[in-house]
Amino acid sequence: MSTLTTGETASPPTRRAAARRIAWARIGAYVLLSLFAIVYVGPLMMLVITSLKSMPEFMKSATALPTSLRFENFVEAWEKANFLRYLTNTLIYTVSATAIYVVTAVFVAFPISRGYVRGAGWLLTLYIIALFLPVALIPQFQLMLNLGLYNNPVGYVMLFLVNPIGIVILVNYIKTLPLELDEAAAMDGCGYLRFVTSIVFPLIQPAIATIAVLHAIGIWNELILPTIYLTNKDYYPITRGMIVFQGVYGSNWPTLAAAVLIMTLPMLVLFLVLQRYIVSGLTAGAVKG
Amino acid sequence: MNNYHFGRGWARLAPYLLLLPGFLFYLVIMLGPAIATGFYSFTDASGIQGAKVNWIVLENYREFLFMGQASRDNYAALVRTLIFCFFVTTIQFSLGLLLALLVNQRLRGVNIFRTIFFMPVILGAVIQGLIWSLFLYPLGGPLATILGLFGIRSEFLGGQPAEAMAWVIFVQIWANLGITMMIFIAGLQTIPGDLYESARIDGATGWQAFRNVTWPLLTPSVNTNLLLNIIGSLQAWQLFLVLIGYRNGTQVLGYLIFAQGFGQTSGSVTSAFRQGYAAAASIVLFFLVLVIGLPVQYFLQQRERRILG
Repeated sequence: MSTLTTGETASPPTRRAAARRIAWARIGAYVLLSLFAIVYVGPLMMLVITSLKSMPEFMKSATALPTSLRFENFVEAWEKANFLRYLTNTLIYTVSATAIYVVTAVFVAFPISRGYVRGAGWLLTLYIIALFLPVALIPQFQLMLNLGLYNNPVGYVMLFLVNPIGIVILVNYIKTLPLELDEAAAMDGCGYLRFVTSIVFPLIQPAIATIAVLHAIGIWNELILPTIYLTNKDYYPITRGMIVFQGVYGSNWPTLAAAVLIMTLPMLVLFLVLQRYIVSGLTAGAVKG
Repeated sequence: MNNYHFGRGWARLAPYLLLLPGFLFYLVIMLGPAIATGFYSFTDASGIQGAKVNWIVLENYREFLFMGQASRDNYAALVRTLIFCFFVTTIQFSLGLLLALLVNQRLRGVNIFRTIFFMPVILGAVIQGLIWSLFLYPLGGPLATILGLFGIRSEFLGGQPAEAMAWVIFVQIWANLGITMMIFIAGLQTIPGDLYESARIDGATGWQAFRNVTWPLLTPSVNTNLLLNIIGSLQAWQLFLVLIGYRNGTQVLGYLIFAQGFGQTSGSVTSAFRQGYAAAASIVLFFLVLVIGLPVQYFLQQRERRILG
């Protein structure tokens, strides 16, 4: 638009040239974006196409469109793998660990952000350096083994009660709450615990949603920890179950693709619904820090 | 400390008591074990319950760094980790910036593109890996078919180690590009629009506006992205697990730690649960992160102070 407002000084032909340049830039941007989009959507399309084919069809031509819509693969995948069990396990792990994490995280972040505990600055630094810490897999494993929490769902959930980035996001967000709020509440005789639970929690809901979603995604997709800690099939989360399924049906791509789609769809739907929180949280924590 | 309003005496303890559970989790599950990794690296811990753990001082490091074929494999893994980090960081950083610039324009439908590029982040390593295993299916899969039109045949993930690794780098970037892009978009949106307006009035070209307005003001997100990408890619290995498994000539340090500590074939040596040794490998990786991460962090902070004051 600015080319038009400053256009008094430019003669008509250059103005037209500028407009043409902008049109070309726009087309170029769309072409580039579409090329990238193909690389992102293409593999997903392939997954859908494959899941609707029969094995002989796939062997004949992996890329051809299916001749008819077969949903047998989905039924087969659902029956052969214990997906209902795996999904339930994942859901239990994710919800319980995220709930405990979020509540405890707020009680850590609030006094740090307000300076209500001694050494608040140091505490925050401890959480920030977590990014650089060495891989803690080995001592963590020894600890769980000696506590008798190996191959134990409770022990497995305990592994997910920490997430330093979430604390940093919360601390930054709580700083935007006015201090007068604390003073006024205290004046009215509101205690610390009640202040945090009934006033701080509702006010920082957007930040809580963000760290909850980020944390939950991490647990839902975790593959390494269940591989290390859970040997009993009944405890497997969906990721581990998926890898086992791949081990057995690895060459039967139509069934495997159907299984992958069964696992993907809930995540995709959840993502589309919660997109806003994930994005705002990622960026809020990142740009300030 | 005098700004605490919620009572005195015993009431002053409330924030400490309520902070305790969360902080203890952090100490016991993350910080403590991270520090203990150093101690374990001096032992022959095996991960078998009840087995005696002996103090063997620097033996693990001697073996890791200076003992025949095994140490040669380790150096190869270390170099591979650096190569992986270099390509992932540079490509993901540049493409992320490009996409952010494209998507941050006032164009119809950019939100859809944003969502598409961010989607793999949600799906996680298992699905990312399986989706690309299918797309790179060597017997007539989509890419094999396209390349076949040009007379190129490839085994993709099953091919030569260098080629398999190139594909893991590709999928790693594909999977995480969305995060880099989003952080850049957030940075772009903090730049006031009237700066571009005045740049245009001064007759600046698109490139000059980028060079003199966008790039310097984008410094915070540039720093965040570089640091996250470098440290993240030095420690990443999940996609190696899902895409190619533990194959000779493709291991990176992160995978080596897992394989040694929890029993898998490593290089030319098969081992089971050598946790002391794996802890030593973790410390080597930790030093790698420090040696690269800290100077970068220092340089970036200096640069930020110079540019933004």
